[in-house]
Amino acid sequence: MAKGDAILEAKDIVIKFNLRGRTLTAIRGAGLRLNEGETLAIVGESGSGKSVLTKSFIGMLDQNGWVDSGEAVFEGRNLAAIKDEKDWLAIRGKKISMVFQDPMTALNPLLTVGAQIKEVFELHHGLSGKQADHAVVEMLERVGIDNPSERRKQYPHEFSGGMRQRVVIAIAVACKPRILICDEPTTALDVTIQAQILDLIKALQRDLAFTTVYITHDLGVVANVADKVAVMYAGQIVETGSAEEVFYDSRHPYTWALLSSLPQLGVKGQPLYSISGTPPNLFNTVVGDAFAPRNPKALKVDFAAQPPMFQVSPTHSAATWLLDPRAPAMEPPPAILAMRAKLGGAKLGGAKLGDAAKNGGAL
Amino acid sequence: MIRGAMMREPLAAGSESAEAIAAKVDASLFVPADFDANAAERGGYSDYSYWRSTMRGFLKNRVALGFLLLLGALLLFTFVQPLLPGQKSPTHIHIDPATGMQYRNVAPGAEFWFGTNTIGQDLWARIWGGTRTSLMLGLLVGVAEMLIGITFGAIWGYVRRLDGVITEIYNVINNIPTTIVLMLLAYILRPSFKTMVIAMCATGWLGLARFVRNQIVIIRDREYNLASRCLGTPSRRIIVKNLLPYLVSVIMLQTALSIPGTIGWEVFLTYIGLGLPVSIPSLGNLVNEGRQIMMSPELRYQLLFPTIILSLITISFYVLGNAFSDASDPRNHV
Amino acid sequence: MLKYTIKRLGQSLITLFIVVSAVFLLMRLLPVEGYFGDGYDKLSESQREAVLQKMGLLDPWYVQMGAFYKGLLRGDLGVSTIYRKDVPVLEVIGPRVPYSMKFGIVATCLALIAGLGMGVSMAKNKGKGLDKLWTGYVVFVNAVPLAVYLLFIQLYGTSLLDLPLLFDKYMPSSWILPAVSMSLGGIAGYAMWMRRYMVDELNKDYIKLAKAKGLSQSTIMVRHVMRNAYVPMAQYLPASILMTISGSIYIESLYSIPGMGGLLVDVIQRQDNTMVQALVLIFSSVGIIGLFLGDLLMALFDPRIKLSKSGASR
Ligand SMILES: Nc1ncnc2c1ncn2[C@@H]1O[C@H](COP(=O)(O)OP(=O)(O)O)[C@@H](O)[C@H]1O
Ligand SMILES: [Mg+2]
Repeated sequence: MAKGDAILEAKDIVIKFNLRGRTLTAIRGAGLRLNEGETLAIVGESGSGKSVLTKSFIGMLDQNGWVDSGEAVFEGRNLAAIKDEKDWLAIRGKKISMVFQDPMTALNPLLTVGAQIKEVFELHHGLSGKQADHAVVEMLERVGIDNPSERRKQYPHEFSGGMRQRVVIAIAVACKPRILICDEPTTALDVTIQAQILDLIKALQRDLAFTTVYITHDLGVVANVADKVAVMYAGQIVETGSAEEVFYDSRHPYTWALLSSLPQLGVKGQPLYSISGTPPNLFNTVVGDAFAPRNPKALKVDFAAQPPMFQVSPTHSAATWLLDPRAPAMEPPPAILAMRAKLGGAKLGGAKLGDAAKNGGAL
Repeated sequence: MIRGAMMREPLAAGSESAEAIAAKVDASLFVPADFDANAAERGGYSDYSYWRSTMRGFLKNRVALGFLLLLGALLLFTFVQPLLPGQKSPTHIHIDPATGMQYRNVAPGAEFWFGTNTIGQDLWARIWGGTRTSLMLGLLVGVAEMLIGITFGAIWGYVRRLDGVITEIYNVINNIPTTIVLMLLAYILRPSFKTMVIAMCATGWLGLARFVRNQIVIIRDREYNLASRCLGTPSRRIIVKNLLPYLVSVIMLQTALSIPGTIGWEVFLTYIGLGLPVSIPSLGNLVNEGRQIMMSPELRYQLLFPTIILSLITISFYVLGNAFSDASDPRNHV
Repeated sequence: MLKYTIKRLGQSLITLFIVVSAVFLLMRLLPVEGYFGDGYDKLSESQREAVLQKMGLLDPWYVQMGAFYKGLLRGDLGVSTIYRKDVPVLEVIGPRVPYSMKFGIVATCLALIAGLGMGVSMAKNKGKGLDKLWTGYVVFVNAVPLAVYLLFIQLYGTSLLDLPLLFDKYMPSSWILPAVSMSLGGIAGYAMWMRRYMVDELNKDYIKLAKAKGLSQSTIMVRHVMRNAYVPMAQYLPASILMTISGSIYIESLYSIPGMGGLLVDVIQRQDNTMVQALVLIFSSVGIIGLFLGDLLMALFDPRIKLSKSGASR
């Protein structure tokens, strides 16, 4: 498959949970398209459904949850329709693998690091004994662990957080996956280590040629690594586009609010912008635009009907009534305009987007 | 009508064009709406209440509800039984007026519902009298353990300097089999109601104290973080809405669960001869009396009746306690 | 590991010392009549004093304790005062040790095998029929006082299965009921804890990663969940020995097994103070040693403990 072809295409995914005797709709018709070889970042505040949506691609929803409708096509197969655990074994950890947020608890404390990586080689590559050990050492070296032949015999508690995350990444890529999903891979780590881990994943992606999905609520990470961005709010993708489009030309009020809350966009002496209010209660049916109650400039129509995905460009679309021709013209908030001016200048100067965001302040 | 139509139309990438969907919406709606700051806050997940979730969890458990009814009926009957008409005294020895002899080992019948024992006492009255004694013992021990447990647990948790010392004391007591401690204390203090209470309190408070201590350490550390990081109210709300009710419910639970335990130990101590004086009817004494004649099959009712009542009571307490414990654990509030 | 062992050993010795001293001092609270047996009333005041003097019971408590510890180090626990007058305590207890040990070991093994199996099957079938059935058993054993259900096992078990009512060392079939009875509590305990630990492990994050690796549910169960659940179970082993002790006291006396548990009941009823003291000390020591061994076992399995400074993390 050539670079740029769709590798995973999800449409209208609805995911529900049973909670305390009631049904909660965590994902309310989300769709996304993932292209071969690219890096997609899913952003949104916590609880917006980033983890749930991606976990459904490897059949790892919690016991009380299920994919209610929609489809997710991967290699000609509809992942949303897989019910049998056996069928998942052909995909999970083999074609699509996942790195979780907290490396401190992700490893089995009673098995050596090597044994835990070895499991993958035994399972997916049929290696055993010396061969598998050799592969483990190679893998550890590849993820940047010094003295791998000694360290593979150590237990997780003898590794630091950053090192453990490297081990987790080694486990995830050992199967040579086609898609690697990183669910907030650096949130639990020190700032200095975050950048190293991101670099590591980038390097591995180059070598092993997989497609990466980052889940994060750190827009700094997005600017650093992503080709494409999907913004999630209350179980829906509200805006999606290339990283440039989402940063310079965002259209959804929620994206504006999210960008405005970036610390590095704050104006000295003024309180940091934060989105007021809380996301909707997912037990209730959401009518209209889910973000409308928190949007001071919402239109009446936002409360009446759910906006469709309006195309802005072939790669960029957003679900907001502001894109309807009948809507009054609406300027993004000043912070966004200021950012665009700043980033625009940087762009003209030839610097990359990521550098501009980095220069904006420590992430 | 618009709402209905839109709700069934999820965000569709490709199923229907945006323009087609938009066409269904009335143009007059494209004007700014009034912003209601309160409405923005109204989302969220404020529908959680600790006690309501606990009750829901508990009420879902049919078996536990059945035992609740059973236990309620048993307890009620135990305490109103002496007030009912036609009840006999549990200690009175009945004499046959015709022969002047005691009514020994009379089989269950119209006069003596559960029969009489080897010296002519009414077994029915003795069983309920014994249940009263055993329940009182259990209740007393339960409350005493609760007080000691909370006090020690609170000191243990709050006073950091004593943490090490109390932990050591805990380890020492915890390392000795409970049976041995009980037997030794009962042996030294000589059998009596008071002895029984003291002996059982000496070991029973440990678990509760440890739990209270752990919970207080959690709360203490949260408070500390709260002060140092100025995080505002949410932590405090978690403490008041979640941790405290949990603490309270576990304390209630442990007190309830210690009752069947106490009843069981009483039977055991009675067996080795360290129980209550035989003049006091108690479940332990009844079981022990029944055991001594259990080799004659026609007299086995004297063992069976007390053990049935006893088992019903302890099983009810145990099942209820555990059902409540599951329901009250915030981790199960899913 | 060596450092941990030494530290933990020191802890146990201190505990043992405290327990021995406490038991000794508590026993001093008893009225002195207990040292005379039936003959107390016949003796004159001065004769009584002479006897007490001879036994050292009139000395200040610290002198008595010193003498007691001196004897203890020489392996001398005093002489029986009533049960078998003037016979050294250890001589009375000695022949009974093998019985208690044999029953204890058999019961513990039975409990271990049946209990772990039961626990694993409960965790695997969580919420289903088998889980409920075994839970019913656990509830029964925990809720109904052991003094009651063991009695019924003796009463009906012997007649239904046509087994001997009392223990007879020459009759192998008389071993069955007592040994099974002794293991019932342990089985329930092991099953309950094994189930709980496995369910705990199942909810941990590393299980998510194991699943994300593509391991099948059964591989995860065997290689991760069960393995990890055995570690805290190692620590439960001694606790179950404590339970077996409790059970044995009652069961040995119920079936007239000539072991230490039955002896303890006898000497309590006969009020033989030195015998009670000695047996209480022996049983407490077994408990303390058992917990010590359990912690060592756990440290052996859990690589994290070798590094931790805090020692036993219970
Ligand atoms: N097991 C579950 N049971 C009930 N609700 C769940 C469960 N898992 C997730 N949710 C709900 O789904 C929503 C999305 O969660 P998640 O995907 O974890 O958010 P995030 O974007 O932070 O990753 C949240 O509102 C959460 O309450
Ligand atoms: Mg998440």
